[in-house]
Amino acid sequence: MSEKKTTHFGFQEVPVDEKAGRVADVFHSVAGKYDLMNDLMSGGIHRLWKRFTIELSGVRRGHKVLDIAGGTGDLSYKFSKLVGPEGLVVLADINESMLRVGRDRLTDRGVAGNLVVSQADAQYLPFPDNTFDCITIAFGLRNVTDKDLALRSMLRVLKPGGRLLVLEFSKPQSDLLSKAYDTYSFRVLPFMGKLVTNDADSYAYLAESIRMHPDQATLKQMMEDAGFANCDYHNMTGGIVALHKGIKP
Amino acid sequence: MLDPTISAAATASLEAVINKALQYDPATRRRLQALAGKSLALEASEPRLVLCVHFDSDRVRIGSHIDNPTTCLRGSLSGLLQLATSERVNLADSQVEAWGNTALLADIKTIARDLDLDWEEAINDWLGDVLGHQLAEQLRCRMDWLKARGQSGKRLLGEFLTEELRAVPAAAELRTFSDQVDQLRLAADRLEARLQRLRQHWPSNNPPV
Repeated sequence: MSEKKTTHFGFQEVPVDEKAGRVADVFHSVAGKYDLMNDLMSGGIHRLWKRFTIELSGVRRGHKVLDIAGGTGDLSYKFSKLVGPEGLVVLADINESMLRVGRDRLTDRGVAGNLVVSQADAQYLPFPDNTFDCITIAFGLRNVTDKDLALRSMLRVLKPGGRLLVLEFSKPQSDLLSKAYDTYSFRVLPFMGKLVTNDADSYAYLAESIRMHPDQATLKQMMEDAGFANCDYHNMTGGIVALHKGIKP
Repeated sequence: MLDPTISAAATASLEAVINKALQYDPATRRRLQALAGKSLALEASEPRLVLCVHFDSDRVRIGSHIDNPTTCLRGSLSGLLQLATSERVNLADSQVEAWGNTALLADIKTIARDLDLDWEEAINDWLGDVLGHQLAEQLRCRMDWLKARGQSGKRLLGEFLTEELRAVPAAAELRTFSDQVDQLRLAADRLEARLQRLRQHWPSNNPPV
């Protein structure tokens, strides 16, 4: 009798086919206050991380951009301004609640005409080959069940010469920062989550999932293995977050 | 190299300040529309800093990365700062190299020279028209006074250093000295040319004693 394949869900081992459902529950729970919590947890610094991502994207007028795990649409909003009416931005997220918040927010901010919203799984992107000039996935890859499959799927839908940007929590580069960050993540974050959203478990999962995510060098290797060229990464805020970049050859 | 978080914070602040200031200068905003789609990268060495300016139709974007800028200026930080603050319109002896379309530099220089921010309007937005106008009048008066004092102070300091203290030569003395050095250099060049000609006329196997 063969054993059921398992994967990480924070520090727990869960059957592969259960992870997506559990992650979905987390995001259904936090969607309403996602932006508020992001600002509180990062002290607003997540806006700077995203700003740097947009700078490195090289997106310009007429480009087609896919914003995977786009959630509440921070990046999509900026991209829709950059690509102009002749370009296209696809805001994709597997989670319906997050997508609904993002779509409503973008509509309220007057984004229309060059934006499409799509509920899609990063592992099986429902787009033709060679479609996008740029793909971004910000704070989303660590929640994907099979990251290698997702990276290959992104490579498929990118145009040759197009770039993938993965913005994700990573490994702090100094021991001191690492200790302070651990204390913050495992003590302060769940408390904050409990206080604002009355949901400490989701924020405990956030901290745990960050620790289980591949570090900078491993993720770079995974991108190279998936077929990306010129892979590189930039550490931000001492390595708490890293931005990986790869080009489709 | 700066942590990208710091550079992003710095460029975001600079971008906000510039775009806010441009709100109070519609003429400059209109002129900048002609530069829409163009970009300028400033790359300073020692310390290594990169600043990219991208012109949109209604605003300016500042960042630390840009692909294929229209124009790129590379040089020491002091050279770039000197170029930005001086009246010069060429790069000769500036220790700055330009790549790409240099016409953009001339356009930016012209726009920067004609910059005329309506700072009274900015104060009015903050304090209201009546109070704002009074404060602006006071500030204008103080600025004029400071400008006049600055000019006369500069002149008096110059006179003190040259006439009273004799610490530095006067401009006229310096000019005369420079002229004399030029004359001496020209005379030396002429003498060298004559010696050269004499050597050519002299038989090579029988050099002068």
